[in-house]
Amino acid sequence: MIFLHKEIINFHKIILFIFFILFTYDLNGAAGGACKDYGDCDKFDYSLNDIESLQRGASTYINYCYGCHSLQYSRWGRVANDLQIPEDIFFENLVFDKSIKPGDLMTGAMPEDSANWFGVAPPDLTLVSRYKGDDWIYSYLRAYYEDSSKQYGVNNLVYPGTAMPNVLLALQGNQKLVCKDIPMIAANGGQKRDEYGNDVLKEKCGFLEVEEGTGKLTKEEFDDLIYDLTNFLVYVGEPIKATRERLGWYVIFYFLIFTALSSLLYREFHKDYNK
Amino acid sequence: MSEIAGRLFSWVNDRLPIVNTFERHLSKHPVPSKVNFWYLFGALAAVTLIIQIVTGIWLIMPYSNTEEQAFSSIEYIMRDVDYGWVIRYMHTTGASLFFAVVYLHMFRGLLYGSYQKPKELVWIFGCTIYVAMMAEGFLGYVLPYGQMSYWGAQVIISLFGAIPYVGESLELWVRGDYYISGITVSRFFALHVVALPLVLIALVFLHLVALHEVGAGNPEGVDIEKYLDDDGIPLDSVPFFPYKVLNALVAIGVFGIVFSVIMFFFPEGGGYFIEMANFEKANPLVTPDHIAPVWYYAPFYTMLRAVPDPLGGLIVMAAAVAIFFIVPWLDNSKVASIRYKGIYSKVAITLFGVSFLTLGYLGTVGVTEIRKTMSVVCTIIYFAYFLLMPIYTKLETTKVVPERL
Repeated sequence: MIFLHKEIINFHKIILFIFFILFTYDLNGAAGGACKDYGDCDKFDYSLNDIESLQRGASTYINYCYGCHSLQYSRWGRVANDLQIPEDIFFENLVFDKSIKPGDLMTGAMPEDSANWFGVAPPDLTLVSRYKGDDWIYSYLRAYYEDSSKQYGVNNLVYPGTAMPNVLLALQGNQKLVCKDIPMIAANGGQKRDEYGNDVLKEKCGFLEVEEGTGKLTKEEFDDLIYDLTNFLVYVGEPIKATRERLGWYVIFYFLIFTALSSLLYREFHKDYNK
Repeated sequence: MSEIAGRLFSWVNDRLPIVNTFERHLSKHPVPSKVNFWYLFGALAAVTLIIQIVTGIWLIMPYSNTEEQAFSSIEYIMRDVDYGWVIRYMHTTGASLFFAVVYLHMFRGLLYGSYQKPKELVWIFGCTIYVAMMAEGFLGYVLPYGQMSYWGAQVIISLFGAIPYVGESLELWVRGDYYISGITVSRFFALHVVALPLVLIALVFLHLVALHEVGAGNPEGVDIEKYLDDDGIPLDSVPFFPYKVLNALVAIGVFGIVFSVIMFFFPEGGGYFIEMANFEKANPLVTPDHIAPVWYYAPFYTMLRAVPDPLGGLIVMAAAVAIFFIVPWLDNSKVASIRYKGIYSKVAITLFGVSFLTLGYLGTVGVTEIRKTMSVVCTIIYFAYFLLMPIYTKLETTKVVPERL
C-alpha cells in the first residue's frame, strides 16, 4: 500500500508538471500583436494630472477630430471645468456653434448621411480608450502610410483597411513603408559578420518613415501631439479616473487603520479563551 | 430617560423575541473555538451580498432599462451622477469578488467535509445559492447593453435551443423576442433586481437557519458536541458574539483593502471584471472577434466548448454544476477533514483545484488545438474527482481524528 502511495504522489507531480509545461507553451504561443501588422502596440502611459497635456489634446481633438467624431456622453462644461479652462475662453476658442450651452452633450456636427462618404459612419469616440485601449490609439494614429490603392491614398498598419483618411497628414508629413538593411545577430548574440569582418545585413520591410520636409511637425513634435490627444481620450473615456486613483489611497488607508484596530480588539478578546 | 427607554424595550421584547433571538443566534450560539482563515469567507460572502443589494438599489435609480437608453444611462451614472462611478464600480467589483469569495467558501466545504452528515441541507442550500448567483450574475451582465452583454446573452440564451423538441420555443420564451432586444433587457432587469434577489435572500436565510441548527464545523473535523460542560455548552466552543464577530471584522478589514485596490485602481480587472468590448454599445450587426465570458463562468464555458455537440456541451455544463448537490452522498470517508483523509483524497482535491483553475483560464482565451485537448483532459479530471469519490474515500486509510479540538 505504501509503495502505491509513492507512485500516486509521483503521478500527481507528473500531472502538475505537464500542466506547467503546457501553460508555458501556451503563453509563448499566444503572444501575438494586438496592433495587427504593426506588431505589439507601443506602450502608452497616461498622465491625467498633466492638465496642459490634456488641454492641448482637447484642442487637437476639437480642431481635427470633432468635425466627424462626437463625444456624445461628455458635456462641454465638464471638459472645460476638468481641464481648468475658464468657461469664457473655452467657449470663445473651442466651441464653434454659439448656441451650445455648458450642460450640452458633445453630440458632434456630422450630418446623418455621413456613412455614404466613408462607407461607415465615423464612430463616437467617448469610450474609444476603454474598448480599444490607449496603447492602441497611440499606435494607430502614428501608423498611417501612403498606399495609392486606397480611397484616400493611405492605409494603416494597426488597422489595415481603415476607412478614415489621415487627417493629420499635413502635420505629420508623408509617411511611407520602407525596407531597410538590418544587421543580423550571430549565434553568440553579437553582431554577425562575414569572413572579411563586414557586417552581415538582411533586408527587412515594413518600416514606417516620414519623407523629410513634408510635414509641419518633426517626428518628436508629432509624437507629442498624439500623446496629448491620446491622453485627452483617456480622460474623456473616464473623466473621474484621476479622482478615482487619488481617492483610492484614502480608502485603502482607512481600511488599513480599520484592520489594525479590529485585529487589536480581536486579540484582546481572544485572550479570554486561549490562555 | 433611560428608564423610559428600558420600559419601551421590554414592552417590545415581550411581544417580539429580540433578546431570545440575539442570545440564541449570536451571544449564546456556540461555534468551534479553533478555526482557520478558510472559515471567514462565509461572513465575507454575506458582506458582499449586502454591498450588492445596497449599491444595486442606488443603481436602479438612474439606470434606464430600455434598448435606446440602457448603455447611455450607464455612462450617465459614470459621469453625471454624483459619485455614480463609486456605486457602479462597487457593484461590478462586488460581483466579481462575491464569486471569488463564494468559490473559496465552497472549496473550504470540500476541504473540510462541510457537507457531511448532518450538514447535508446546509450544503444543498449553499449549492442552490450558487446556482441563483450564476443566474443573477448573467442577468446583470446583460443590463449595461454593451457588445459583450449582447453577444454573451446571445450565446447563453441560444444554449436553450439545444434542448430537443422544446428548445426553440423555450429560447423564444426566455428572450421574449426573435433576437436580443429591449424586451429582453427589461425582463432581465425585472428578474435581476426583484425576482432573484428575493430568491437569494430567502436561500441565504435558510442556509443560516440550517447551519445554526446543526452547528458549524472546524478544520479538524472534530465533533465538539461530544464534550459538554455542566451547562450543556461544548467545551471547545466560544459564543459567536463577540468572538467570531470580531474575527470577521478583521477579515472585513483585509477584504476592504483588496476591494479598494481593485475598485479604485483596476476596476476593469484587466478585462476580466469588465470586459473591454462592453464599453461599446450593443451592435447586432457586428460580432466581436472573441466572445469570452466573465472569469467566474469561464470554467463552465470551457466545458461547454470541450464537447463538440451543443446538447452534449449543455449537459456536461449543467452536470458540472449539479454534481455539487450530491457530494454529501459521494463521500464515503469516515473522517470529514482533509487533514485526516488519506493520500488519494489529497491527490484528488489538488488535481481538481488545478484543473478547475486551468478550465477557468482556458475559458477566457481563444481556442487552439492544444487548448482543446487541455480542456477535455481538465473536464475529465473535474468529473473524476466527484465520480470516483465513493471509491477512493472508501479505499484509502485515514488517520485518527483527535477527541478534542
